[in-house]
Amino acid sequence: MLEARGLRHVYERRMVLALEHLSLQAGTRLALVGPNGSGKSTLLRLLAFLEAPAAGEMTLAGRPVRTGRERRAARQRVTLVEQRPYLFRGTVLANVAYPLRLRGTPGAAAAAAARGALDRLHLGVLAGRAARALSDGEIQRVAVARALAATPDVLLLDEAASAADRASQHALFAAVAEEQARRPLAVCFASHLLEEAYRWSNDLLALHQGVSVPVTPENLFRVELPAGGGMQPVAVGGVTLDVVCDRGGPATLAIPPEEIVLSREPLHSSARNCLPGRVVRIAEQGAAVRVTLDAGVELVALVTRRSVEEMGIALGATLFASFKTVAIRVF
Amino acid sequence: MPALNAEILGITALSLRIAVTATVAACAIGVPIGFWLGGTRFQGRRGALLVLNTALAFPTVVIGLLLYLLLSRHGPLGGLGLLFTWRAIVVAEVILAAPIAAALTAAAVQSVDPRVRRTALTLGAGPLAAAWAVAREARFALAAGVVVAFGRVLSEVGAAMIVGGNIRGETRTLTTAVALATSQGQFSLAVGLGLVLLALALTVNVLIQLLQGRDDA
Repeated sequence: MLEARGLRHVYERRMVLALEHLSLQAGTRLALVGPNGSGKSTLLRLLAFLEAPAAGEMTLAGRPVRTGRERRAARQRVTLVEQRPYLFRGTVLANVAYPLRLRGTPGAAAAAAARGALDRLHLGVLAGRAARALSDGEIQRVAVARALAATPDVLLLDEAASAADRASQHALFAAVAEEQARRPLAVCFASHLLEEAYRWSNDLLALHQGVSVPVTPENLFRVELPAGGGMQPVAVGGVTLDVVCDRGGPATLAIPPEEIVLSREPLHSSARNCLPGRVVRIAEQGAAVRVTLDAGVELVALVTRRSVEEMGIALGATLFASFKTVAIRVF
Repeated sequence: MPALNAEILGITALSLRIAVTATVAACAIGVPIGFWLGGTRFQGRRGALLVLNTALAFPTVVIGLLLYLLLSRHGPLGGLGLLFTWRAIVVAEVILAAPIAAALTAAAVQSVDPRVRRTALTLGAGPLAAAWAVAREARFALAAGVVVAFGRVLSEVGAAMIVGGNIRGETRTLTTAVALATSQGQFSLAVGLGLVLLALALTVNVLIQLLQGRDDA
């Protein structure tokens, strides 16, 4: 549906995004994950055709989108809900009917369709309310209803549930998933909450400083590598890790969560890194469990549910996280 | 006294006709320019805004003089036969009020949240529909701009005097009539006209305040 190749974007002479390939197809529910400033919002604005990329090829339904006129036509079929969405003056219903009115739907039919979109997000009661009187969470959900009312082929959500409580978050993503079950729709949502990303996506793109990183953004650390090659002790936050690298200077370390072994006692093994830490978060991810340790820096380990049960891992417990030096990726 | 009242009424009617015509024309020219200056980024935009803001402070008698030279019989536009007609006053007032309409529109558009345009665009609006969405969000500030332009035109005296000639029953407006009556020592007429002018100015300012109050809400 929507494809991007060799996408580059520059802001104030700084490269803020460099993405080789991205494809959003009907049924896709791609989560963009990464810390603040990783390029998620920039990518979404480019995908929404609100800005032209500095370089790269974008196609919608197989047709290239290059000129302003083509971007304008493409925006009829791709819509973005911004992190802090804007609702126009007037009622909630008028806001949700707006994209329909733009497409020439008569007033009564637009209002009926807008009510339908609000109902799908359990927002029917807000229809007559002034848009200015809503809470941040309500504004976000109304904005999603308004985006769905535009019946886009591609729906882009930038932290769309950041101000919503858990129930609203569920209602929001469930409505999006239902819409996908009903008609061909590609969805891409940015989130800094990994649990949200894992739960609602069927594909994941991790961004770090504007580039796609081959791992999830957990256990990503900006470090200063000492000059010289081979194995080196590298300061990461308050701890020191043994890292194999062939260069010096600033770099990013990534420790894949599945490479971390948890144990009750320090492991005497070939793994050169063994850090004690306290369990601060436990979250399910399918059949596996993500355990977050505070070991001076936050480390996430992916373990099986069985291991969690057998080891009796609980919040506050002290565990040891071990991983091999060669498991640490440097880029 | 009835003759005096009829004269005041006639002068007031002419003043309003000139002010309304000039305001409509000035807004027709100034508002789109303001939209363009306030809503688009291009090289030289700051310079254009500077020129526009300077135009706001342009002395009205100088505009009257330049227009007089253009419209006088031997001037380049003398053939139009506009000098000393109410239409000449309208032209002068448009030159004065269009920069006001443009500058206040630009300020109103600039003060609109940038998300308004992006939101309209991403929901499928074309450039015109997106501009309309911006105008709707800024509607009270835009209306206030129109009212300010109207007030400026209504109270202007220098250019109206020069290009209109202050001809009784033809081009005598409230302001030029006050100036003349004062110089002739007809103080009752001058005060009467002055009160009408004050009442109109008060109405205009009440309107501005109401609009600004709505905008804050």
